[in-house]
Amino acid sequence: MSESLSMMATTGLLGYGFGEDSFRHGLAMDLDFIAADAGSMDPGPHYLGAGIPFVSRKAIKRDLGLMLEGALEKGIPMLIGSAGGGGSAPQVALVREIIEEIAAERGYHFKMAVIHADQGKDYLHAKLKAGKIEPLGPIDDVTPETIEETHRVVAMMGVEPFQKALRDGAQVVLAGRATDASIYSAIPLMRGYDPGLVWHLSKIIECAGAVAVPKTGQDCMIGTLKADHFLVAPAHPDSRCTRMSVAAHTLYENPSPYHLEEPGGTLVTLGSTYEQLDHRTVKVAGSRFEKANRYTVKLEGVRRTGFRTIFVAGARDPGLIAIIDDFIDSCRARVRRAVAVLDIRADQYKLNIHIYGKSGTMGSREPIKNATPHEIGILAEVLADDEETSMTVMAKTRLALLHSDFPGRQCISGNLAIPFSPSDIPVGETYEFSLWHIMEIDDPLEPFPIEMVEL
Amino acid sequence: MATLGELTSVLRSKNAGALLCTLDLMFEDLATYRRVRDSGVIAPTLIASLYHVSENEVSIIPYDVAMAIKITVPRLIPSGSFGDTDVYGAQQHGPLLTIEIPD
Repeated sequence: MSESLSMMATTGLLGYGFGEDSFRHGLAMDLDFIAADAGSMDPGPHYLGAGIPFVSRKAIKRDLGLMLEGALEKGIPMLIGSAGGGGSAPQVALVREIIEEIAAERGYHFKMAVIHADQGKDYLHAKLKAGKIEPLGPIDDVTPETIEETHRVVAMMGVEPFQKALRDGAQVVLAGRATDASIYSAIPLMRGYDPGLVWHLSKIIECAGAVAVPKTGQDCMIGTLKADHFLVAPAHPDSRCTRMSVAAHTLYENPSPYHLEEPGGTLVTLGSTYEQLDHRTVKVAGSRFEKANRYTVKLEGVRRTGFRTIFVAGARDPGLIAIIDDFIDSCRARVRRAVAVLDIRADQYKLNIHIYGKSGTMGSREPIKNATPHEIGILAEVLADDEETSMTVMAKTRLALLHSDFPGRQCISGNLAIPFSPSDIPVGETYEFSLWHIMEIDDPLEPFPIEMVEL
Repeated sequence: MATLGELTSVLRSKNAGALLCTLDLMFEDLATYRRVRDSGVIAPTLIASLYHVSENEVSIIPYDVAMAIKITVPRLIPSGSFGDTDVYGAQQHGPLLTIEIPD
C-alpha cells in the first residue's frame, strides 16, 4: 500500500456536466484514477425499458471527451459505471459508440473493458429455483411469471468486475449497471486500503459536487485515502467542503445514514468522525465495513405496461372548480359508455385524471382536501395495450372533460383552456418495475461478462 | 410553538430506491435539532397517519453528527408505475411543514 491514493469524481452523473475549470484544477493534482457514475433509477422505469439515456448524447460526449483527454494525458485509469443511465446493453452500447467516436476523431489509443450487466431469463429462473432471489423492500416475491414478463433486467455489479478488467490491462473501464460506490472502491481495495474508509469515501464522492459549497453542482471532487482516514475536497480552489456537507451526505437517497448496503457487506458509519481540516477539506475516520456472509447483487427489471397518451388543460370557472371531483367522476362514466360503443371494454384501458391545484402532487396522500384555488390544471393519462386504443380513449376523455354539462354551468362553449394543438399527446410505450430484488451469487464475476476492446 | 417549516433549514423528500420515500429534516443549530428530536412529536404514529401507512412501516432515525432526522416510509406506488404522481419523490414533504413542535 502506498502512503496515499487520490481519485477525482468528475460528476455525479455523466452528462450532467462539470466545470472545465474545476476539472483542470483536479487534473493538475496527483491522481490515481478518475471516474464518473452514469446511472440512476430516479427517472423511473422508462429509460431502462426503452434502453435509452435520460441525458443527451451530446452532453455525454462532452463529459467523456474531457475525461478521456485527462486520463490518457496522465496515463491513469478512467472508470465509468452504469453507462447510459440504466447500465443495460443498449445503453452501454451507446456510450461505447461515443467513446469509439471520440477515439477515432482524436486519434486516441487505449485498451478498454466493456462490462455487461444484463441478465438472461434462464439464469434468473435457475437462481429463483435455487431460492436465491428475494425482495429488496416492499415488493412481491418473484415468480417464474415475473421473470417471463420482464422485458429487460440488469444486476448491479460490485468492485470485482472492475478489478478484473483493470488486472487484464484495461485503462478505460466502461461498465453496465454498477453500485455507485463500487466504481470508486475498486482500485483502492485492490491496493489494500481499509474497506470501511474506502466504501465511505466512495459513497461521499460518487455524487461529486453535491458535497461542495457553494452548491453549483458543477464541481469535480477529490478524495484522498490514507491508512487511517480519508480527505474530501472540491477540485476547484474557490469551492469548499464543510464538515456538515460531508456528514450529511450519507443521508441522501438512503433509508439509513448509518448502514449502507453493498454487494459484499455493509458500510457502517456509526463510529465515523468528521473534522474540518482546513477551510475546504474534511477529514473522515472511524468508518467500518462489515463483511456479509453472502454476496448479493441487486436486480432491476422492468415489464411493458402499454402505451400512454396524455392531455393537459386548465380550468378557471369557479362553478366547475367547486364541484370538480364529482365532475371528474361523471366524465369517467361518460368515457366508459362512449368507448363501449367502440368495443373497448373498461378493463382494456386505465384512465387517471390528476387535478393540479388540489392533489396533483401528492394524490391520495394530500392532506388538504377542500382547497378551492382560482384555477386548476388537469392532466389526464390513458394507458392501453396499443397506441390506437390509448388515443381513442383519450379522444373521448377530452370530449367528456371539455363539453360535459354540470349543475349551474355557464361556460357552455367549453370547460377547459387547452394549451396545445394537437391536444392529445402520445408518449409511447411505458414500463414499470417488475424486479427490485436481491440475488445471491457465488462468484461476483459470474453475471458480468467482460469484453476487452483495443482502440 | 413553532412549525417544522420554521424550525428546519432543509426539509426534503426523495426516493430511496423505487419503493421507498425518505424525508430528511435538517437544522441550523444543535439546540433546535435537539428540541425537535426530543419533543416526541416525530413519532411513528404521526408519520403513519400523515403518509397513510402502518406504524411498523415507518423508520425514524436521528442522525446527530449532521443534526438531522431521517424518516422513511414506503411509496404508495413504485416509482413510475401507472398512477404515480412523483417519480423522483421530491415533493412529498409538504405534510411535515405544518407540524407543530412545542417550545
